[in-house]
Amino acid sequence: MPQDITTSVLRNTDLGHGNFLLEFEAPQWSAEMKPAQFFMIGIPGSETLLRRPFSVCGLRGTFDDAPADSVQVLYKVVGKGTALLASLKPGAQLDVLGPLGNGFAQPHDPRARPVLVAGGIGSAPFPALIVELTAHGIRPWMIYGARSAGDLPLLDWFDEHSERLIVTTEDGSAGQRGLVTGPLEELIAANASGSLHLYGCGPEPMLKAVARLALEHGVRCDLSMEAHMACGFGVCLGCVVPTHRPGSAEIHYDRVCVEGPVMDAGVLAW
Amino acid sequence: MKPDLSVELGPLRLSNPVLTASGTFGYGLEFVPFLDLSDLGGLVTKGLSPRPRHGNPPPRIVETPAGMLNTIGLQNVGVDAFITEKLPELRAYDTAVIANVFGESESEYVEVCTKLEGAEGVAAIELNVSCPNVDKGGMIFGNEPGALERVTRACRDATSLPLIVKLSPNVTDIRDTARAAEQGGADILSLVNTFVGMAIDVERRRPVLARGSGGLSGPAIRPLAVWLTWQVHQAVDLPLIGMGGIVEAGDALEFILAGASAVQVGTANFIRPDAAIRVLRDLEDYLRRHGIASVRELVGTLERKTPA
Repeated sequence: MPQDITTSVLRNTDLGHGNFLLEFEAPQWSAEMKPAQFFMIGIPGSETLLRRPFSVCGLRGTFDDAPADSVQVLYKVVGKGTALLASLKPGAQLDVLGPLGNGFAQPHDPRARPVLVAGGIGSAPFPALIVELTAHGIRPWMIYGARSAGDLPLLDWFDEHSERLIVTTEDGSAGQRGLVTGPLEELIAANASGSLHLYGCGPEPMLKAVARLALEHGVRCDLSMEAHMACGFGVCLGCVVPTHRPGSAEIHYDRVCVEGPVMDAGVLAW
Repeated sequence: MKPDLSVELGPLRLSNPVLTASGTFGYGLEFVPFLDLSDLGGLVTKGLSPRPRHGNPPPRIVETPAGMLNTIGLQNVGVDAFITEKLPELRAYDTAVIANVFGESESEYVEVCTKLEGAEGVAAIELNVSCPNVDKGGMIFGNEPGALERVTRACRDATSLPLIVKLSPNVTDIRDTARAAEQGGADILSLVNTFVGMAIDVERRRPVLARGSGGLSGPAIRPLAVWLTWQVHQAVDLPLIGMGGIVEAGDALEFILAGASAVQVGTANFIRPDAAIRVLRDLEDYLRRHGIASVRELVGTLERKTPA
């Protein structure tokens, strides 16, 4: 059941290129949240009105050097809310509502290979997922793409913790030049469709392309969606995405905060 | 001594004057993890239409200075599902459940009112004649005094429940629509719904919201809403429920002093799920601090230095 707590910043580490790793104390969550569940974070007394949604990046055991009972949030400065967050020093107060949303599920088949597809800051929910899968004896592969080398936060961590990591950048400054869909297509071609389970998070055009590939080839694909939210717990109806029910062309609107953030690529009406 | 928080708005008795506003509180049950619904004076449901509505395409919301714009488009489960799926659970709580009613035509308003008439656990009906985010119904009724009086009368004839009409601020003179609702047989007026607004993405040179415009809510509209409450208080004899950007008890008191017997907390519910309870607790502190025995003593007691 979600709780609304006041806590304080433990560390707020500048990872460069506008990316930050925020750590705060949350003993009640660090052991039991699911990867891709999220928080609504507000800064008391700030000039912004609404809290902002952030998925959990690290839980207990994700990062070796993390303070006990802490959770981590990976974020990029994109507007006023994240700029304020980036200015916070250790000890600063935070209003945090969580845990919210459904979170990633385990692979549909224990023998299936999880392939994590991340676009830039969309890598945020994957450290917790990788550590959880690894703890279950499942070794995930990862395709990590971005515009440029600076837009790949925690790249060294991912390199160390995924069995196989393919990096792509649009400008060729790191890994292969191009988009994540290039190596993804090759991976899908080289493996039986039932032997893979895709997990995607990133900008919408990337998610759409990943979903299209997965659906074309009959590969199971779960996407962690992002949307502007006012509440995070299902009442503002602001964060909806268009979806289909099985066997129907009618458009429904499902809430990213409650029915998601993780949605089966097959239900999205893109 | 514990101050008396109970209020009477015509036929509607409430344990306290703090309610939660339609469209910001779901069907109430979503808030059970965060507060005891029985502590609220009342809760107003998401707008209920005769049949379920899918609502408008996204993007539906955007934050603006001290406020937010929304264009949800009255996505709701429909009145039948509300009665069978939500209301039975709500009956467990000792609070006034007020059903917000929406229709695309006069007959649809009447249809929803009629269905709610026999439903156990509904304390009152609030007519949503002021939604700015749908093409048909809603604001069309709220903008034109003649149409508003007719739809109010039709619903008055269809229900024995206390009838609240929620006024739109998007009018030339709100006193005209307030009087029309009074003529039509409303027991109570609630005010105000959202102000029509727009935000533009200058990089793309397009509106931020998919539908172009949306309804503005939050602290940004509070002074406007307080002024309109004060104006309506001068114009009609009906009890009023004030709303518009209430975040703290002091905000609620502005509406009460301007003439509202009760208030609704709206957008603040998104930011702090227990916002209404905080308003209530601090309101009680205010009464104690000022030695006021009952909140009713404050309603409309604003002292005017100069004529408005």
